[in-house]
Amino acid sequence: MRVVVADDAVLIRAGLVRLLEEFGFEVVATVGDGDALVAAIAEHKPDVSVVDVRMPPSFTDEGLKAAVEARRRVPGTPVLILSQYVEVSYAEDLLADARGAVGYLLKDRVVDVDEFLEGLRRVAAGGTVFDPQVVSQLMVRRRKDDPLAQLTPREREVLGLMAEGKSNPAIGRQLVISDGAVEKHIRSIFNKLGLYAEDSDQHRRVLAVLTYLRS
Amino acid sequence: MRRVLLDTRYTLVGFPTAVIGFVIMLAGFAAGVGTMVVWLGVPLLAGTLVAARGFADAERGWLSDVLKRPPVRPRYKPAPPGAGRFRRLVNPLTSGQSWLDLLHGIVNLPFAIVSFVLTVVFWALPLAGLTYPLYGIITTRIPGNEELPQLLGLGDGYVVNSVFYFALGLVFTLVLPFGTRGAALLRAGLGRALLTGVAELQERIDDLAEGRAAAVSAEANALRKLERDIHDGPQQRLVSLAMELSRAQRQLAKDPEAAQETIKSAIAATRETLDELRALSRGIAPPILSDRGLAPALAALAGRCTVPVDLDVQTVERYQAAVENAIYFVCAETLTNVAKHSRATTCAIQLVRIGNALVLTIGDDGVGGAHVAKGHGLAGLADRLRAVDGELEVQSPDGGPTLIVAEVPCG
Repeated sequence: MRVVVADDAVLIRAGLVRLLEEFGFEVVATVGDGDALVAAIAEHKPDVSVVDVRMPPSFTDEGLKAAVEARRRVPGTPVLILSQYVEVSYAEDLLADARGAVGYLLKDRVVDVDEFLEGLRRVAAGGTVFDPQVVSQLMVRRRKDDPLAQLTPREREVLGLMAEGKSNPAIGRQLVISDGAVEKHIRSIFNKLGLYAEDSDQHRRVLAVLTYLRS
Repeated sequence: MRRVLLDTRYTLVGFPTAVIGFVIMLAGFAAGVGTMVVWLGVPLLAGTLVAARGFADAERGWLSDVLKRPPVRPRYKPAPPGAGRFRRLVNPLTSGQSWLDLLHGIVNLPFAIVSFVLTVVFWALPLAGLTYPLYGIITTRIPGNEELPQLLGLGDGYVVNSVFYFALGLVFTLVLPFGTRGAALLRAGLGRALLTGVAELQERIDDLAEGRAAAVSAEANALRKLERDIHDGPQQRLVSLAMELSRAQRQLAKDPEAAQETIKSAIAATRETLDELRALSRGIAPPILSDRGLAPALAALAGRCTVPVDLDVQTVERYQAAVENAIYFVCAETLTNVAKHSRATTCAIQLVRIGNALVLTIGDDGVGGAHVAKGHGLAGLADRLRAVDGELEVQSPDGGPTLIVAEVPCG
């Protein structure tokens, strides 16, 4: 799998490259700022890019802007954003084009190598991956009459994992329940929230959930 | 109507006062300066200045009515403690405001005359016009008396005159409030410039000095707290992490499995350290605030709060960093308090811009009892707000509910 790595911190960049190459990924370019990232993605058309949010010159959300721009030029190019902070409004920028193949994780998640690589593969395959912290911010009950209040605690857990972009088997493994039980919960959640989605298309399902949570 | 009467009283009563003041001050000043050579002038002048101060105080009292401002009185320099009799006597001569009072007493006369005349005229016109039907019965019968309507070619006779003058009276009744207001402002403008201008400046300087002191102390406190937090949190954790890693290094040779465990716990400790650092830097300058402004930053705060928050932000503009920071930290600190102490089940935040001020309102249905006492988190917030000219108001009776309102000028 061909990867572009964008981070202005040399240490992190080197660390990521070492980690990815050790697990059989091919790093085709490493860049340190937004413009270079857009150019590298346009040139190499990588299977996935790993991008840091904060980069020069502005040191604010440069990486995010560049990722959105790159996805405009190379439609749907998969991007996994890494950041020291997760903020819902950053996640919304990524979801704006509703194409999927995006991810947004805390930088520390890289420490858990298996989970990080699985997320990376899922984004490359067109899925959506969100950090549990983003999801928990989205899941905050915003009003007293919030429909989320109708969900059982178990259903809330399932909804959260679904919003992170986890597949049914992964949700089942995490909660130690059968696939059938997971499907049953999901159907019940969608009924209660008045959402419609085809169970077969996992990515659409995640988007439906995220859209609901953001509204 | 009350306004009109106030203004009228001010200009009518002000005229004789101004005349008396003018006479006393001009005479006193002239006599004082003239007899300065034989020292007699010194007490004369001092006396004149004290009289001027009396008149000025009276004028200042009226000014606060007319200009609808809180009364301000400039600070007159008191005589230095332990001063001799002579020093105390000449003390009024040393104060700049005293001389301004004297100047006002003298210059005020023409202004007082003009505004007095204007007021009388603006009252006379509607009164004369509206009451014409009463005295017109007599005046129309005076032979050879040509009235205004006749001169304008509208005809003559009692009825025509009455209608014409009554209508004129009505028009001037409508103009009356503006006339008296203008006359009053003419005089009040001079008074404000000479008598309270300095005092207003002094007050503003006091406010700013207080704000600056608050800013400095808030910053110093924040830095001290930050140092303590770094010392107690990430620093300690990193030290223990280094120890864990060196232990793992020694274990590697003897007992690889134990080393695995040690490294695993070291990784967990690293994550906790990162979490702590994140919380710390959010406390210093939250990146989302500088990137995207108040609305997303407050949404993120609400999202991290353990109590359900109903957020309503009605402004999407960007403001000065200091203003945004103040609002953000009031919100952050208050939400922390709500989560820790209030036992509330719900909390509502509203941010609106009203004119040139941002108003943040935070309410919860908790047990109340929050107050801006020393050592309380809220006292630090009040300081932070004073530093940007803002104000904090806390209503939190025991038993709740709590309402906190922060107002920050953002013009």
